[in-house]
Amino acid sequence: MSHLHLPDGVLPVWLWASGLILAIFIAWLFSRLIRREDLTRRLPLLGMMAAAMVLGASVEIVPIAYHVNLTVATGILLGPYLIFLVTFVVNFLLALFGHGGLTVIGLNTLILSIEGILGYFFFRVFWRISKRIIPSIFLATFLALSLSTFFMIGVVRLGVDHYEELLHSHEEKGLFEFKLLKEKDHQPQEISDKVNFRRFVSIVLPLGFLGWLLEGAITSLILRYIYRLRPELLRLTDERGNG
Amino acid sequence: MVQLSYLDYLALEGRSFLHRLSPKWKLLGMGFVLLWIVLPRNLHAVILLYGILLFLFLLSRLPLRLFPLTFYPLLFATLFIFISNFQIQFILLVFLKVLSGATGVVILLGTTPYPFLFQTLERFLPSIFVTALFLTYRSLFILLKVLEETQHALYLRGGFQWSHPIRSLTNLSNAFGHLIIVAIDYSEKMYEAMKLRGFKNKVHYRGE
Repeated sequence: MSHLHLPDGVLPVWLWASGLILAIFIAWLFSRLIRREDLTRRLPLLGMMAAAMVLGASVEIVPIAYHVNLTVATGILLGPYLIFLVTFVVNFLLALFGHGGLTVIGLNTLILSIEGILGYFFFRVFWRISKRIIPSIFLATFLALSLSTFFMIGVVRLGVDHYEELLHSHEEKGLFEFKLLKEKDHQPQEISDKVNFRRFVSIVLPLGFLGWLLEGAITSLILRYIYRLRPELLRLTDERGNG
Repeated sequence: MVQLSYLDYLALEGRSFLHRLSPKWKLLGMGFVLLWIVLPRNLHAVILLYGILLFLFLLSRLPLRLFPLTFYPLLFATLFIFISNFQIQFILLVFLKVLSGATGVVILLGTTPYPFLFQTLERFLPSIFVTALFLTYRSLFILLKVLEETQHALYLRGGFQWSHPIRSLTNLSNAFGHLIIVAIDYSEKMYEAMKLRGFKNKVHYRGE
């Protein structure tokens, strides 16, 4: 749910352009912070996890318009620096498949990275406290997803003025004006409706809540499966808990 | 997602004018389409763009069975219409922008083999990003094959049934867990093979 499924041309240019610039800057910064040989060694894993995320995103749970992101699982497996590059690649590919616009790649990357990075750190904290794998992952995923959804809502809120302009766009001249289809005596309709941001939030949050629970459960079970078979992948240096 | 290999096949085997056009021009064209989608607030301008893209789709001689792919993003755009108080003008504008973007992308992917696409992208984007993109795209085909096998295993264990939600959730999660572990195994083998061939953070393309 935290993934912005907005198409191109809906968000204002300043918003998606600043998101893109910020995402590129953070990607550049993180690529400097990670050791070169570590990046080379983990590039194939990065590719595989990104592919798993793309596949997860393509499985739509239709009744609640939700799909699993696997961002928290990937964040826990790859760490906070690489998750940023993964989400950048995933969003680029998803946009090519029509899943979100190409222009919102930067914003999507920021939102999903926040989810992955928060998930990673929450998991470390909860694991240190409880030493129980399922509750730690469930809580980390639930909290990370809910916070990133609020971040997404905040991004949509920033574009409200622009949606108002779009709603009333047929009353005024746009960048391209084609008069052929317009009648000469056409009078603009009276539009009293405004952008209904509350309705958007009231739909997103309950659906999102179901999604957070579902993804929390799925991520916990996936990582429990991995913990049983390949515990070293979770890089938990402390002694193993009772799962 | 399963249509991915078919799109690749069409991009390689197609013989239309658009297939022969340089990937550089096609990417520039896609950039122009995006600009056209982003800038106008006028419904007629977007209708004109969609009309041009439909014409290009026919010109590319891509099979009509690919056309429904362009409707896929509408599924996600529907949530956004609630913000508009269901105003038909706004909904049409948003939907046509979505359809235009998706049609442009299907034409691009259906007429350009992905190594050429990534090779061209490398001129504009950092090589590490394009390498990661290339590896992800390659991994998608590997994982799709694993997913197909996993689906059989999942089916034999009861698959996904709404009447047994907990068992279904466990099955689904185990399937994804298996997918990730196989992905990690493959990635380790891929890294060893790439290292033996002298990989240094960059994929080289034929002709470079």
